[in-house]
Amino acid sequence: MVEFLTSCAVVLAGLGGVAAAVLGLRRLTLARAEQRRLDAEARLIPAALELLDGMEPVGEVSEQDVDVFAALLGRFGRLVRGVESERIAEFFEHHGWVDYELGRLNSRRPWRRATAAFALGDMGSSRAIPALIQRLQDSEPDVRAAVARSLGRLGATDAVESVVGGFASGRLPGSVAGQALLSIGSSAVRGLRVLNEAEDPAARAFAVELIGLLGDASDEDVLVECLRDTSAEVRANAARALGRVGAEGATLELAERLDDGVVLVRAAAAAALAAVGDHRVVARLVELAQQDEFESARAAAEAAAQLDPEGVKRASSAAGSAVHLNEAADLLELYA
Amino acid sequence: MIRVALEVLAVAALAYFAALNGIYLVFTIIAWRGLTSHRRQRRYAAVDEAFASPLTPGISVVLPAYNEAAGIVDSVRSLLALRYPAHEVVVVNDGSRDATLERLRTAFDLVPIRKALRDELQTAPVRGVFASRVERGLIVVDKENGGKADALNCGLNASRHEYICAVDADAMLEEDALIRVAQPVLDDPELVAASGGIVRIANGCTVDHGRVVDVALPRSSLARLQVVEYFRAFLVGRMGWSRLDALLIVSGAFGLFNRELVEEVGGWSSRTVGEDIELVIALHDHLRRRGERYRIDFVPDPVCWTECPEDLRALASQRRRWQRGLGESLWRHRRMTANPRYGFLGLVAIPYFIVFEFVGPLMQVLGYPIVLAAFLTGAVSLAFVGAFLAMAVLLGILLSVSALGLEELSFRRYTRARDTATLFVYAVLENLGYRQLNDFWKLQAFAELLRRKGEWGEMRRRGLGLQSPPS
Amino acid sequence: MNKTEDSSPPSALILVADDDEDIRRLLRFRLERAGYGVIEARDGEEALALALEHRPDLAVMDVMMPKATGYEVTRRLREDESTRKIPVILLTARAQEADVSRGFEAGADDYLRKPFSPQELRARVHAILGRR
Repeated sequence: MVEFLTSCAVVLAGLGGVAAAVLGLRRLTLARAEQRRLDAEARLIPAALELLDGMEPVGEVSEQDVDVFAALLGRFGRLVRGVESERIAEFFEHHGWVDYELGRLNSRRPWRRATAAFALGDMGSSRAIPALIQRLQDSEPDVRAAVARSLGRLGATDAVESVVGGFASGRLPGSVAGQALLSIGSSAVRGLRVLNEAEDPAARAFAVELIGLLGDASDEDVLVECLRDTSAEVRANAARALGRVGAEGATLELAERLDDGVVLVRAAAAAALAAVGDHRVVARLVELAQQDEFESARAAAEAAAQLDPEGVKRASSAAGSAVHLNEAADLLELYA
Repeated sequence: MIRVALEVLAVAALAYFAALNGIYLVFTIIAWRGLTSHRRQRRYAAVDEAFASPLTPGISVVLPAYNEAAGIVDSVRSLLALRYPAHEVVVVNDGSRDATLERLRTAFDLVPIRKALRDELQTAPVRGVFASRVERGLIVVDKENGGKADALNCGLNASRHEYICAVDADAMLEEDALIRVAQPVLDDPELVAASGGIVRIANGCTVDHGRVVDVALPRSSLARLQVVEYFRAFLVGRMGWSRLDALLIVSGAFGLFNRELVEEVGGWSSRTVGEDIELVIALHDHLRRRGERYRIDFVPDPVCWTECPEDLRALASQRRRWQRGLGESLWRHRRMTANPRYGFLGLVAIPYFIVFEFVGPLMQVLGYPIVLAAFLTGAVSLAFVGAFLAMAVLLGILLSVSALGLEELSFRRYTRARDTATLFVYAVLENLGYRQLNDFWKLQAFAELLRRKGEWGEMRRRGLGLQSPPS
Repeated sequence: MNKTEDSSPPSALILVADDDEDIRRLLRFRLERAGYGVIEARDGEEALALALEHRPDLAVMDVMMPKATGYEVTRRLREDESTRKIPVILLTARAQEADVSRGFEAGADDYLRKPFSPQELRARVHAILGRR
C-alpha cells in the first residue's frame, strides 16, 4: 500500500514536472507566434482598410496571411455598420468562408459550432441568418449564446421571436438575449409587441423592458395595456418603458399606478412620471414622498423635484418635512 | 507499546496527507475545467456591449474607511472612474481620527445634505452625509466609529442601487473589475445572490494614482510565497468550490451582493472578525432554508490588487485573524454542518472545512515529528518515510505548480518569463516550510478560539452578563 | 497615393479621439483619403491638450474615454474662447435618449452611434465643415 502510494505520488510529481516544462515551451512558442501575427497584421492593415473603403486591395493576400486578414476584417467588422459591413460580407462570401462556417455549424464538436456561430456574426452575411436561428435550439449553452450574439450583429429581425422565446425558456441568459435584441435595434420592436401576449410573465416583462429601450412614443398603446398586467414585474417594466419612450399621453395612466399595491410598481411609475409627468401629478407625488415606503417615496420625491423644483424646495423647508423631500431639495440646490 | 502507538499515528498522518492533497488534486481538475469554460464564455460575453447596455443593473460601491487619509482620495477617484454604466460610490468614514474626511472634503468639494437613510440595519450614529459638487456619483457618510461591519451596513443604508459592491480602502480595482464581477448577475439577475473576484498581490507592481499600471513580482520572499499561495487559494480553491456550488468565501476586499438579500440576513455581523465570510455563509444558510434556487459565483477575471504583509509578525496576525473569522462564522451557523437540508454545502463542504482547516492543522503540524519519531524508534521503515514525504511535500509541490500552470493557461498576468520562472521556484519552496508555518498559525487560531469559548463560558457562569465575544 | 475626393480645403484639420486604436485607424484612413489632416488622441486629456494646441477645424470624439469623457472635453472646449467654435461629433456605443441629450447639452453638434459607418461619418464631417 505504502509503495503504491509513493509510486503514485512520484508519478504525479513527474507528470507535473513534464507539464511545467511543456507550459514553459508553450509560452515561448506562443510569444513567437504572437509576434509573427502582429507583424502580419501590421502588413495587412492597409489592405483591410482599403477593402473597407471600397478600393481594390493593392496586392493579393497570400495564403498564409488569409487567416490573419480574415481576423482583421472580423475585428474591424465589429466596429462598423452599413456599406462597410456589406463590403466585409462580400469578401467572405467571395472567398467561400461563409459556406465553410455554415458547414461547421453542424459539426459534432460543440466548440466548433460555437466558433462557427461567432464567426458568422463577424462576417456580416445575412445569408447565415436562417441557419443561425435553427441553432438557437442547440444543446450547448455556449453555442446558443454565440448564435444569439451573432444574430444581434447581423440585425436579424426575423430572429426576434426566437430570441425572446429562448430567454423565456431559460435557454439564453438575460444579458445575451437582451444584448442581441438591442443590437438588432428598433426593427425588433414589431416582433416584441406581439410578445406581450405571451403566457410566461417573464417573457412579457422582458419584451416590455426592451420595447422601452428600442421603441418610441408610438408604442405607447401596447405599453399602457401592460400597465394592467397581472404580473407586478410587467407593470413595473411597462411604467419604466413609458418613461423611456417619452410617452407624454400616458401621464394619467401612470398616475393611476401610483396607487398600485406593489411598491416596486409605484416606484417605477414615479420614476417614469419624472420624465413624462406634469403639474397635475405633483401633489400625489409629494404625498407619496411623505408617506410611502422607502423605494417608492424616494422615486416620488425625485420625480416631484424634477417636475416642480420650487414647490419641493418650499415643502422641504417646512418644519417636520419628509426626509426624501429634504434630500431631493438639497440635491436640487447643489446641482442647480 | 509506544512503537505501536507511533506506527498507528504515523499511518494516520500519511492517510491524512494523502486525503488532503488528493482532494485538492480533484479540485485542481475541477478548477481547470471551470477556467477553460469561463475563457470560452468570455468571448461571447461581450463585455464592451454589456458596458454600453442599459440592461446592466446599478451598483453601489461601498467603501468603509478608517484612518485612510493617505490614500483615500486616490482610492475614491479610481472607484469613480470604473468602467460601469450605472454606479455610485458611497464612502463611509468610520469615525477616523485622522484627516480622512478633510481630505475628501477638499478633494471633492463636499457639501452637507440631508439624506434619507434606510433603517433596516442598525448602526453606530451617523454624524452627517455629504454630496460632492464636482462628482455626482459620490456620497460620503460620516459616522461614529463602529468597526468595519458596522460601516458596511451604514453604507448599505445609504445606497440607492440594487447591488452593493463592498471594497476595502486599500484594494485597487481594475477598470473593468465592476463589469466583470457583475457578469453572473447580468446573465441571471433573479438567481445570483453574490459574486466575488480574484485578489492579486500588488507588492512589486507599479501603482499610479490608485491603479496598477505594471505587473511585476514582489522583491521580498515572503510576498512571493504569498503570490503562489494566492494562486492556489483563488484560481484553484475558489474556482473549484464555485463550480461545486459551495463557495463559502467571497473576499471582503471585493465582493458584489444583492442588497435586499444582505438586508434579509441582517447585514454584516460585528460579532466576528471574519464578517465577510460570515455574510456569505449567512446567505447560504438563509437561501437554502427558504428553499430557493440561487448561485454565489466566483469570477476569475475581475481583478482587485492589494498589498500583502511582508513581515512575519503582520502575516501571522492576519492569518490567525482569518482563521478565527472562519471558525466564528462556522460556529455561528453550526446547524448547517452535516445537515442534509443544506445539500452538498452542509454534507461535504462545511465538514471539509472543519476537518481540513481546523482539526487538520493539528495533524499537519504534528505529522512530521510523529513520523520522524516513528522512524527513529523503528516503528516504520524508511520507505514509509519516503511515502509520507511524497504525500505531504511532493504532492503539495505538484499542487502549487499546477496552480501556477492554471494561471499560465488562463490569465498570464506576469508577462516577464523571468517572473514565471521565479514563481515556479517559489511554488516548490512554498511546501518546504511556508505551508507548514501557516498550519501552525491556524492551530494557534483554533486554540485561541477554544480558549475564548472557554473564557466566555467562565464569565457567563460568574454572571458578568457580557453579551458576545468582542470583534 | 491617397486620392483626394472632393474640394474641401486641404488644410482642414480634424482631431480624432478614441481609446480604441482600431477606430482611430479607420477614421484616419477615411478622413485622410477625403483630403483632411488628422491628429489623434488616445484619451480625454490628450484630446483637450491637442485641441488647445492645434485648434482643429472639427473634433470627432468617443464618449467613453479614460481620463476625461467626450462630454467633459466638449464642455471644456466650449468654455475656452479659442476652442469654443470647434464643431464636435460624439461617437458612442450607448445611444439612449438620455445620452443623446446629454451630448447636446454638453455642446456637441452631432452624435453617431457605434457601430458606425465611416462613410456616413465622413459625410457628416463634410456637411458640418461645408457650412463654415
